[in-house]
Amino acid sequence: MDVQEFLSYFREEFFIPELKATTKDEVLEEMVQHVASKYPLKDTRLIIDMLKRRERLGSTGIGHGIAIPHGRTLSTPSLLVAFGKSPRGIEYDSIDKKPVHMVFMIVAPPQEESNVYLPFLGKLVEVLQVKHVRDQLMQVTTFQEFIDTLAGGF
Amino acid sequence: MDDKQLRCLVALQDVDHMIRERAKEKELGFDVEGVDELQKMREEIAKSIATPLLRTYERLRQRYEHAVVPVKNGICLGCFVTLPTSIGSKGKENITVYRCENCGRILYWLD
Ligand SMILES: [Zn+2]
Repeated sequence: MDVQEFLSYFREEFFIPELKATTKDEVLEEMVQHVASKYPLKDTRLIIDMLKRRERLGSTGIGHGIAIPHGRTLSTPSLLVAFGKSPRGIEYDSIDKKPVHMVFMIVAPPQEESNVYLPFLGKLVEVLQVKHVRDQLMQVTTFQEFIDTLAGGF
Repeated sequence: MDDKQLRCLVALQDVDHMIRERAKEKELGFDVEGVDELQKMREEIAKSIATPLLRTYERLRQRYEHAVVPVKNGICLGCFVTLPTSIGSKGKENITVYRCENCGRILYWLD
């Protein structure tokens, strides 16, 4: 997946500069509701439940203050990616036990013509392994800065 | 359409996808526990689905990657056939969940 395609899945309206949530359940709820307020989602309850179920298998808090809740559900017609920042931190049961400051939420439909969900997820994990990308993401305040920072990870 | 049953069915399919994609997620570096927990969740959800409907789902799953598919603009996204305006046919299960007349998949309206 090239940089252009990767970046095309991020939308400004799903950029949340300051999350209110302080717990995992709250942040999943808040981000799904945020997306639903900008985009016609079929059933937000199903999406939230799916994400919570996924967390029960193992936290998607991958360390370094980052979480990537994700999963497939029929409740979305296309791949949706939201990003939220929490300056004060979220209790997320991450692998390094540290609070989460950046959340990438990814929901994909089961039926995908291009089957882009896993390649996208893989690319995101790869980009977030770059230390200066992570450090800079902590500083971004606008969507444009956010996109520029991710592009810097390629 | 029995909405509660359909919601459970969609949740069941979501879990089945998690089971199937567990290995791929692990490869990406995610922490994913064994299938046991997933199977337990699956059983929990399956309990709330009427037996004939569950059987239909399982049967369809043998044949197709997706047993429950969305309908968009009147088209079944499983087989891409335009559904009759009378919104598809009812299944033989005596439960009012709609199925595609062409491919038999269980339908879920996205719009
Ligand atoms: Zn069909």
